Amino acid sequence: MSPLTGAGRRGLTRSARFWREFRARPSGPAGAAILLAAVLVALLTPLLTDPAGLDVTRATGPRMGPPSLEHPLGTDESGRSVLLMITWGSRVSLLIGFMSALLSMVIGTTVGIAAGHFRGWPAAVLMRITDWFLVLPSLVLALVLAAILGGGMFTIILAIGVTSWASTARLIRAQTLAVEARPYIERARALGGGHWHVMTRHVLPNVAPLVLANTTLQVAGAIVAESTLAFLGAQSGQVSWGGMLRASYDWGAATSGAWWYVLAPGLCIVAVVMAFTLVGRALEAVLNPRLRGAGR
Amino acid sequence: MTAPLGTAPADGPSAPAQDARAAEGPPPGRRSTLRYAAAKLGGAVLSVGMVIVATFFLFRLIPGDPTIAYTRDVPVSPEQLALLRRQLGLDRPLGEQFLDFVWRTLRLDLGTSYEYRRPVSELIGERAGPTLLLAGTGLAVAVGLGLWQGARAAWRHGGRLDRVSTGVSLVLWSVPTFWLGLLLLMGLAAGVGPFPGVFPTRGMEDVDAPDGFAYVLHVGHHLVLPCLTLVAVVYAQYLLVMRSSLLDEIGQDYITTARAKGLRDDEVRRRHAVPNALLPTVTLVFMNIGFVVAGAVSVETVYSWPGLGLLFYEAIKGPDFAVMQGTFLVLCVAVIVMNTLADVVYHVLDPRVRSA
Amino acid sequence: MTRVGVLLAACGLAVSVGLSALSFPAAADDTAPAVAAREPAAAKKIVRLGVTQSMDSMSPFLALRLVSTSIHRWTYGNLTVPDPQTLRPSPDLAESWETSADKLTWTFKVRDAKWSDGQPVTAHDAAWTFNKMMTDDGAKTANGSAVENFETVTATDDRTLVIKTKKPQASMLENPAPIVPRHVWQQVTDVGAFQNETYPVVGSGPYVAVEHRKDAYVKLRANPNYWRGAPKIDELHVIFYENPEAANAGLKRGDIDWIGRLAAAQFEALAGDPAIVQWNTQGRRASYLQLNPGAATADGEAIGDGHPALRDPRVRQAIHHAIDKKTLVEQTQNGLAQVADGSIVPPLYSEFFWRAQGEEQVTFDTAEANRILDEAGYRRGDDGIRTMPDGGRRFEMRFSIHTDTPVEDKLAQFLTGWLKEIGIELTTRRLDSNKFTEETGSTGLYDIAISGWSVNPDPEEVLATHLCSRRPTASGQAGGTESFYCDDEFERLYQEQLSELDRAERAEIIKRMQRRLYTDAPVIALYYPNNLEGYRKDRIAAITPVPLDKGILYGGSGYWPAYTLQAVAAPAVPAGGSGGTGVTVAVVAGAVLVLGAGGFLLLRRRRATADERE
Repeated sequence: MSPLTGAGRRGLTRSARFWREFRARPSGPAGAAILLAAVLVALLTPLLTDPAGLDVTRATGPRMGPPSLEHPLGTDESGRSVLLMITWGSRVSLLIGFMSALLSMVIGTTVGIAAGHFRGWPAAVLMRITDWFLVLPSLVLALVLAAILGGGMFTIILAIGVTSWASTARLIRAQTLAVEARPYIERARALGGGHWHVMTRHVLPNVAPLVLANTTLQVAGAIVAESTLAFLGAQSGQVSWGGMLRASYDWGAATSGAWWYVLAPGLCIVAVVMAFTLVGRALEAVLNPRLRGAGR
Repeated sequence: MTAPLGTAPADGPSAPAQDARAAEGPPPGRRSTLRYAAAKLGGAVLSVGMVIVATFFLFRLIPGDPTIAYTRDVPVSPEQLALLRRQLGLDRPLGEQFLDFVWRTLRLDLGTSYEYRRPVSELIGERAGPTLLLAGTGLAVAVGLGLWQGARAAWRHGGRLDRVSTGVSLVLWSVPTFWLGLLLLMGLAAGVGPFPGVFPTRGMEDVDAPDGFAYVLHVGHHLVLPCLTLVAVVYAQYLLVMRSSLLDEIGQDYITTARAKGLRDDEVRRRHAVPNALLPTVTLVFMNIGFVVAGAVSVETVYSWPGLGLLFYEAIKGPDFAVMQGTFLVLCVAVIVMNTLADVVYHVLDPRVRSA
Repeated sequence: MTRVGVLLAACGLAVSVGLSALSFPAAADDTAPAVAAREPAAAKKIVRLGVTQSMDSMSPFLALRLVSTSIHRWTYGNLTVPDPQTLRPSPDLAESWETSADKLTWTFKVRDAKWSDGQPVTAHDAAWTFNKMMTDDGAKTANGSAVENFETVTATDDRTLVIKTKKPQASMLENPAPIVPRHVWQQVTDVGAFQNETYPVVGSGPYVAVEHRKDAYVKLRANPNYWRGAPKIDELHVIFYENPEAANAGLKRGDIDWIGRLAAAQFEALAGDPAIVQWNTQGRRASYLQLNPGAATADGEAIGDGHPALRDPRVRQAIHHAIDKKTLVEQTQNGLAQVADGSIVPPLYSEFFWRAQGEEQVTFDTAEANRILDEAGYRRGDDGIRTMPDGGRRFEMRFSIHTDTPVEDKLAQFLTGWLKEIGIELTTRRLDSNKFTEETGSTGLYDIAISGWSVNPDPEEVLATHLCSRRPTASGQAGGTESFYCDDEFERLYQEQLSELDRAERAEIIKRMQRRLYTDAPVIALYYPNNLEGYRKDRIAAITPVPLDKGILYGGSGYWPAYTLQAVAAPAVPAGGSGGTGVTVAVVAGAVLVLGAGGFLLLRRRRATADERE
């Protein structure tokens, strides 16, 4: 048996075990199913629908019309279909969620591994900064950033990403410390492995699953954050769920009784955020050895 | 909308402060406690310093001329503008402005609002009370509710109660704060259809509010919806942490021993398991105060609650950078102070940490 | 644990409510009115006005926001007040006035009136007020520009005020500065920092400010000493809402009686409520686009990066043709605005309003717009976007709007669609108001920008914003231009109207100025938003708008609507309203809370016993 197939087989049994444990909590797969649906909608929307429906100059429906056969979720203040806006908005909301979680993951993992790997003052300085970001009211910081940098999708992603990486860094650092205490790292060092080698070849693969679980939770946070920033005035400038909620507020949907316009985007946010949270928690429970006991 | 920006409802042990302690557990003894407190205090002072420096440079990144904010929609002559620039100290070099800023901040002089033409510290002082009331009550209720539900959920883990309470808290945790606030406002204050609203639509008090105890009730009546919104969104994290740390405790030998001794179930929980599980939870409570503060911004905006969050939101809308900067500074420093306090208190209380 | 948690929560609640109860009465600087406030509320006639703006300052020298200047208009007298019928200046604290032959000296006879503290109002009060603004920089904030042209202001005796100006000033009688009582204000050492928060505030208007809670409300009481006679209601409360939806809900359920300046959506949501009067009249605002005509400083040196094509009036006129103002009114204003066939003065001011007619009128006509551009030599590229005649720069333009303004956002979406039809690619730039004002007012970093102006009964100020001299100084300091416009004919007409003291003649000149703006198109007026308000007829029996028949209630000029308010004699106290009902509801809520907590504790006990049985 060649070493390669051996590794492959090990990988197979590991993923099989992972799947078994993931499935053990029904909430995980349920969340994953919602997520899959949301991502599918986001990906298929451009293929199935015409973005011209988002152009206010071409909207055909009545203003704030109630749900009907033609517009299953009613229309907005310009006569655009709320359903169409939800499907196109899912792309922006998910994109902002993923991108800012990615940004936060990259910063958090880098800082976390570095702070766990190096000792002495570099680690101290990194942890000082991490702690600082951890306690700061991140929404307040994100709002200030967005206000200063001006509107736009990039700004929103930056504002959310930069303010939310600290907890990831903490988690990854703790994990890095645990990994580096293992004997084989000692061996790798003795064999002449440099800092870079140890960090990328040994530490990173070991913390990667945890990073994944944590990122999933971050996406949930980022989507809620996007909607809150939109409500408080920092908008991406494109149709997103948060932007729709803000628009429904601006155009008085609630007092005009246009419940479809107020509820639809909000419920979408709740469903998707909930799904990310469930999947993230399930992943964490399976992957984080420290939590395995607690998952009972 | 509070927790999402930072820690997701972290299951117990991933509560960050604890990781730190696992690695840096100080030696035992009273003296070490003092040293620990001093170190923490030093750290806090450093953090506050970082906040001040960051604030200054963050707010100097703003392109544009702040005098313009002053004169929006108002006819002004060039002479008036020049005068304004001098009054605001905008005509001096950056280094000088920075030193001046640090010195003023240390003396609690946070500048003058462009919009209100009053010292920012005064504006903040006037609005700190309502925010303390809202955030304090919200936090107390959320912590109480979260810990209680969390303990019950863990004690009967896997049961219906566990599933329902964990599920409900997770759903509420996923709801954007402002949206929940608007829904509650529309449903319970404005009234839906034939059902009249029973709570006020704005603020903390009405004109001609009554005196004495009736005033407390009057404010309490106004507090219900804002507080409910805040609690609904933040309590999940306390519930989840309490639940998982209590689950950890239940697995410990001493619980089995206590049960074997014939202690009543209820007593084992109350006397042994819960107090031990409480400690990591308390850390998280203080760690996450920033999130409660953030939640207050949305809630105060929705309910026109006359606090710091509303002041901050109005400043962003202005934009009134002096007020934005001052409020940002005060909120950050308040959170850092609370955290440091919690750290020290935790250290004194937790026998495990002391002897680690 | 359970009990600990509940106790913790209960304690937190009790402590924080207690704390607030202790700290808040101290925080508000009222003692006397607070006692008076405990009188039975039913006996008083109170009208409550909801506003979505909080007070910036109680000092008339500092306040800029509409809510504060309105309240100051109700609590202080000016020299004159617009007549509710004609909007022309009519006597207020100045009983009568005359001008010298050289048009430089104005002599006012000051009315024999009393301040709210009983002291007489004299010409010395007015002279002190104007002199303070002329000499103290701290007092210039709010109305400094109103005294810029003043040479000297003196009171020759208690009743006679003499103002000498540097140049003739036709708008003298629209002076916006409230007259403050000298005997109170001369003790103030630093007017620029004085907040005027000693209640009751001494004034000479129909109301007296008696209480102010920051970000919450201002309480005004009728002034019994008012020279026209006290108002017919006892108190006017101005209540602040951050959330316009909540304000609307507040009006519907009777927490407030009147809201002004509603957004179209909120206005429409009031429909169908039998107790509410929807007040929809002509507004005082004009919304327009500014097109960068080649920005330059006041010295004529070019600045900014405006698109060169916009320097051509034909391009500006073509853009005018490409805009469907009717659709804009329908879609962004819910139809509650008037399509602008004129310029920057809204039709509310019929005396000065000018409307384009016949040939001159620019209609929505994309074909015509394309024809003009083709003829002018701006050819379309392969992608349909035009370029400069030399084939160089494409017609890519920026549209600058404010952040967080849904109407402007929507407007941008429409404009982008329409300009595409005539070969212009528009991208939207959202700027915060500081940056916006800077880029469109001093650095000239814009192509097309949104703008608007709330016009006063005398339109001189809005016209002045298109003068050459209003362009930024050589050092880049803004001068208040709205368009970077600089046109010889417009300048000449402006100077002419300045010294034309015959009102009809002057109105003609002002109309010619608007015509010039319309045909040269440095600005394109889009629509005049209606004035949208709502009030409860079961609370307000009568109110006089300005102008009289179909005018503005809140946010107009003068004090007539607030002064003439009449409350319904025995108002039905709505649920959850102020006073007794509120307390009852609070007590009930409190009782429910206590009962709930008690019941819950009981339940806990039973469960605990159940636990033991296991």
